Amino acid sequence: MKRAIPVLSLLFLLLLPLAAAQPSRGMLPLPETIRLSNGLTLFYVRVPDLPLVSFRMVLPGAGSAAEPMENEGVSSIMAELLTKGTSKMKAEDVAEALDSLGADLKIYTTPEYMAVDADSLASQFPRLLELTFHSLQDPLFATQEFDLVKSQRIDGIKAIKDNAGYAVRLYFQRAYFGDNPLGRLSSGNETSLNTMSVEKVKDFYKARVTPRGAYAAVVGSLSSQELKALLSKTLGKWKGAGSPAAPLPPPPQPKGKTLILVDKPDATQAYWVLGAPGYSANDPVTPSAAVLNTLFGGRFTSWLSTELRIKRGLTYGASSRFQTFLSGGVFTASSYTKNDKIAEMLDIVFSLFEKAKSGFAPEEIESARNYIQGQFPPTLESNEAIAASLVQLMAQGKSFSWPDEYLRGVSSSTPETVQAAAKRLLPAQDYVLVVVGKAAEIEPLLAKYGEWKVKKITDSGF
Amino acid sequence: MGRILFSLLLAGVFALPVFGQSLQSRIESYKLANGLKVILLEDHDIPNVALYTFFRVGSRNERPGLTGVSHFIEHMMFNGTAKVGPGQFDRNMEFVGGANNAYTAQDMTAYSDWFPAAALEKMVEMEADRMQGAAFVPEVLESERGVVASERRMSTENNNAAILMENVNATSIMAHPYHWDVIGWMSDILSWKREQIQEYYKTYYAPNNAVLVLVGDFKKSTAKSLIEKYYTPIPSGKTPSAVTTVEPPQQGLKQVLVKKEAQAPLYMAVWHTPSVSQPGFYPLSLLDKILMKGESSRLYRRLVREERIALDVSGGIQETLDPYLFTVFVEAVPGADLGKIDRIVEEEMGKVVREGVTEKEVQKAINMVQNDFYRPLQTIAGLANALGQAELVNGDYQKLFSLMESYKAVTPDSIKAISSQTFTLNNKTVGNLVPEGGAQ
Repeated sequence: MKRAIPVLSLLFLLLLPLAAAQPSRGMLPLPETIRLSNGLTLFYVRVPDLPLVSFRMVLPGAGSAAEPMENEGVSSIMAELLTKGTSKMKAEDVAEALDSLGADLKIYTTPEYMAVDADSLASQFPRLLELTFHSLQDPLFATQEFDLVKSQRIDGIKAIKDNAGYAVRLYFQRAYFGDNPLGRLSSGNETSLNTMSVEKVKDFYKARVTPRGAYAAVVGSLSSQELKALLSKTLGKWKGAGSPAAPLPPPPQPKGKTLILVDKPDATQAYWVLGAPGYSANDPVTPSAAVLNTLFGGRFTSWLSTELRIKRGLTYGASSRFQTFLSGGVFTASSYTKNDKIAEMLDIVFSLFEKAKSGFAPEEIESARNYIQGQFPPTLESNEAIAASLVQLMAQGKSFSWPDEYLRGVSSSTPETVQAAAKRLLPAQDYVLVVVGKAAEIEPLLAKYGEWKVKKITDSGF
Repeated sequence: MGRILFSLLLAGVFALPVFGQSLQSRIESYKLANGLKVILLEDHDIPNVALYTFFRVGSRNERPGLTGVSHFIEHMMFNGTAKVGPGQFDRNMEFVGGANNAYTAQDMTAYSDWFPAAALEKMVEMEADRMQGAAFVPEVLESERGVVASERRMSTENNNAAILMENVNATSIMAHPYHWDVIGWMSDILSWKREQIQEYYKTYYAPNNAVLVLVGDFKKSTAKSLIEKYYTPIPSGKTPSAVTTVEPPQQGLKQVLVKKEAQAPLYMAVWHTPSVSQPGFYPLSLLDKILMKGESSRLYRRLVREERIALDVSGGIQETLDPYLFTVFVEAVPGADLGKIDRIVEEEMGKVVREGVTEKEVQKAINMVQNDFYRPLQTIAGLANALGQAELVNGDYQKLFSLMESYKAVTPDSIKAISSQTFTLNNKTVGNLVPEGGAQ
């Protein structure tokens, strides 16, 4: 591959609004809104092109940020167990039923919400929605299934540490967020997993999983009548006693430098992530920040990629992104290089932060604006992309015309607004930097950046 | 999304002939005098175009000393021609709102461009220019060599699963060029010479060895005249020599052990299989779903749920031009006995050979294939990729429309028959990755 596209940035793209190519019509098709008496709001768009249907749902407040630190990982285990049996079907039967449909059903949590993704051929969708409904309404939480998931999670943490490129993200998340609820690791940690119980899982489910305040979307070839008939037999009957969670605190604002080195003696490359405060999902800086990130580390010819990869061949990939929450956000930049090049690489990154604050050329701004607008329509091309966008916008308190507003904002961003965003959002003195690599080779090179806390990859936790 | 289906499918009836006819009738395909095959499909749902260029070259065409060079040329295609300076292809493209990527496989190299409709001429011009115009500027070549070395370190050397696969595949396949991975051996990456790379490029980057696919928001007549204008001047090349090496039959179980710093051990087994065009391919492709796709699959259920000896199971068979491998890959739990995993895998393959699979399992696998088949066709990029791959791997893009028929013709008996030929001990290679140091 010419370059790997990080999964995270693809998800981020989905959250971004888009440029209006047809002024008469919005970027997103306007859905029919169906409000169910149990408090679930469902959006429906008919796309008859292919015999496919996609379902997306988010439950704000049922995400990992609602976990107490001592139960880290509980929401993710709960979500997994929802598809592991109901009072009428054993886990094996649910798996058999889903696989027989050739369908995909994934239930998982992000910091801010629990999410349900279900995709199938249109002819199989009624059965898929029925299985989804029973999973939400009537999960068994069998001890045997819990024990299996728990032991898999404990082993999974060890396996994660064999992959430095993956492990560095978890070490960074821990270092940046500490015990801030937005930083819960979906993997859990050794201590929380050892004390995890099926009761804690059930408690989380009861407290948080409710149709009240949830948003769902159905996009595909199903007709409106078919959908409504289906809803009355499934999600319309969904009851849940849980209550939506309280608003979340903002993510941390690091003061000074936090430097962490994780020793992985067999690593032939050093992997790093650097993070600093970003902006919230509803911040008006969003379009200018999108232009900024496109230029800084968000596309192939970005400054990071140009300086680290294209000009110097130091790495296969270098990128940056803004992660946004309702209560705030985080900027991260990351890359990797041969052990002996780590300081050369980091020096360039720090110099680029400073250079960006002195501004971008007007042609660069124009190029980034064109790029964001030109690449937007494909992000809303498939049923699943439209459905995901509808529910995410609602969960963020935005309107369906937000993509159009965002794209207008991108069009009207200027060198001045982008420079202001760079000054506000790119790190200077306050940041968290985590490196995973072979300490014997890289520690001496890193000493000039300050005092490092050194951990071993084999130590418990992240 | 393409509006490519009509009422029968809207009613939820799965009717392939309708799918095929409606889409097929809107596709136009032709060859230029220089041998370039062109496939065009108008689709106006979004104001964008997907332009895919496929070359019939991949690691299959390489030789020792030049392993990985197909993939390296994929990188160098973005690094300058006589007309467009190094890095300028990407800068020009992004300036007009486009993005791109590329991939190299055993049998093909593909370049994908996604851009707003207004950029069509610019993109056709730049793609045509680099078909034979790549400059291989020495300094840029050296810098890019470092990028690819970094890619290998990341994707293979620092990835336990990948390093085990590389070892197992190279042990199983001894003669055919599928012996090495697409990324190539590190010593080759570090020592390809510029002239060797240029010679290889000249051999395989010619219109008669390429397929151009355009799907999206354009008028066919406009696209055709642009293709005519920019591609007609490119001379055709000599037909590249055929890959003639045939992997000799394996004559006994092979085993390979990789010791690495690791917390979790890994297990892998492979068996030689037919190519995509040989009998037995589609039965084995459905069998891989029956064994390993979904939590109700046979190996997942046995290893992950019942024995609790694995975290995950994956693998299967790939669409390749020459015979390749059926893979079972097991991510074991830390401390697991890999010998026990091997015994269980052997038992499960033995059951398929002796008792076969059920009608119900075959139907389940077909449902999975159908879902996976349609989903990418929602996008212009997915359509362009599927059409191009079918042209290269199956020999004709129209085979895309009969693909599901090939799957539907599979019976439990045909799975049993090919399984008894395939899953023998003499045809098997087993690989273990075990921790050396690190916590167990």
